[in-house]
Amino acid sequence: MTAGRVIIVGAAHAGVQTAQTLRQEGWRGEVILFSGEAGFPYHRPPLSKGLLAGGEAAPVLLKPEGFYDKNGIELRRGTRVCGLDATARRIEAGGDAMGYDHLILATGAGPRRLAGTSAHNIVYLRAFEDALTLRSAISARRRLVIIGGGFIGLEVAAAAAAAGCDVNLVERAPRLLARSVPQEISDFIEARHIGAGVHIHKGVEAFEIEERDQRAIAVHLRGGGSLPCDIVLVGIGSEPDLSLAHMAGLETCLGGIRVDDRMRTSVAGISAVGDCTAFPSALASQYVRVESIQNAVDQGRAAALDLLGKGTPYESVPWFWSHQFDLKLQMAGLPCDGRTLVRGEPGSGKFSVLTLQGDRIRAAYSINATADHMATRQLIAEGALLDPEGAEDATTPLGARRRIAAPAA
Amino acid sequence: MNKTVTLIFERADGSRTSTEARIGGSVMEAAVLGGVPAIEGECGGCLSCATCHVVAPEGLREVGDDEDAMLEGTVVARRPGSRLACQIPVTAELSGAVFCIPEEP
Repeated sequence: MTAGRVIIVGAAHAGVQTAQTLRQEGWRGEVILFSGEAGFPYHRPPLSKGLLAGGEAAPVLLKPEGFYDKNGIELRRGTRVCGLDATARRIEAGGDAMGYDHLILATGAGPRRLAGTSAHNIVYLRAFEDALTLRSAISARRRLVIIGGGFIGLEVAAAAAAAGCDVNLVERAPRLLARSVPQEISDFIEARHIGAGVHIHKGVEAFEIEERDQRAIAVHLRGGGSLPCDIVLVGIGSEPDLSLAHMAGLETCLGGIRVDDRMRTSVAGISAVGDCTAFPSALASQYVRVESIQNAVDQGRAAALDLLGKGTPYESVPWFWSHQFDLKLQMAGLPCDGRTLVRGEPGSGKFSVLTLQGDRIRAAYSINATADHMATRQLIAEGALLDPEGAEDATTPLGARRRIAAPAA
Repeated sequence: MNKTVTLIFERADGSRTSTEARIGGSVMEAAVLGGVPAIEGECGGCLSCATCHVVAPEGLREVGDDEDAMLEGTVVARRPGSRLACQIPVTAELSGAVFCIPEEP
């Protein structure tokens, strides 16, 4: 099929990439891209990084404004798709019903919310406007309490501390980034934050937010400690937006829309891409849900190619990055159990931690070690075996430690 | 004083796209906003994705350590003069500069 009407719901990295690949690869029918936001689609990673640091208060656009018209992509901005009838192949948006031949859900994931509070100065970070709120609080040196020691919380903490704000960060787990990186990386990042004056409170099982006139004025930690605040950022994970998926009765998995290795959902005529999906990972031999730009972009491409009859099983090596202060953390593969190998010297500010199963690298976490990152992306993709002897020595390139895989016995 | 300069991007088949580039921005940003094909800039310019591979003119070929490492992971293999466009700041001196887009033969 190369004609017919494709409707894409969601115009962030995954949705825009799907539209772009459809056109690049020869889709001749209509492509309609719905965005709930009023502006043109933009890069989200800078919202928790560069945008907070100052400079121009404008989003970094994914594509030039003229890109959509020029490529025959009908971008409907500021229009939420609020209804879906999968049997009739019809959506509802802005009061109108519209039929489709194929539907792509790129609805993403939204921040998990704190229950029981509606204080005006409790903010979440997903859209450009949220980042602007944080940015003005940071430039006014407001006292910031951050709930959650994940990537969002830590990146905002770094930007705020660098700007001279008083920052308290509260994490439930006994270490930062506990679900995402090995202990050695957590420790290193924590030390950098403490060195910059961020007050870190780990292992906090519960807290209470004191409000006055619908504003949070302090966060009281169980076990002691009160953190007065002007603004609270909550970064406690995200949840896929499944509202349309439920209307269509799509099967779900791990809290996301279950898709196969071509991004097809359980219902004919509907695919899903990006943060909202759970997909079978060849690398992990199980379903996974991955929130990253790489996954969004690559799945967008995969879904478009599948529609065009050029699909191949989706099996990218996930990669991800985070910037905090002068630290550039780059990750490849998926977090998993295994033995860890530290390559290089953490004290030098430049090192990597590899997770190995047998002698195979499954995941790698590099701090200011881009060469290791690029090498591990390749090694993981190849399923290469590593000669662990000497791999700790950061002066030898990792690629040189590759061992020819022995034939299966 | 002009705040933009014109940059030229040339594909393997010799076709050219010229685009206005903001002085102070990056060559990647100019290429993406100018709709130059094959320059993706997936990571938004933070030296993480290696999808803004260009071959730079003489005088712009010096690469930093991280950029050097990232260039090992480009889709089209690096060649003499390979750069990541996000790492090239646009200056007044770049007016009329020609960047080639590496493509598989």
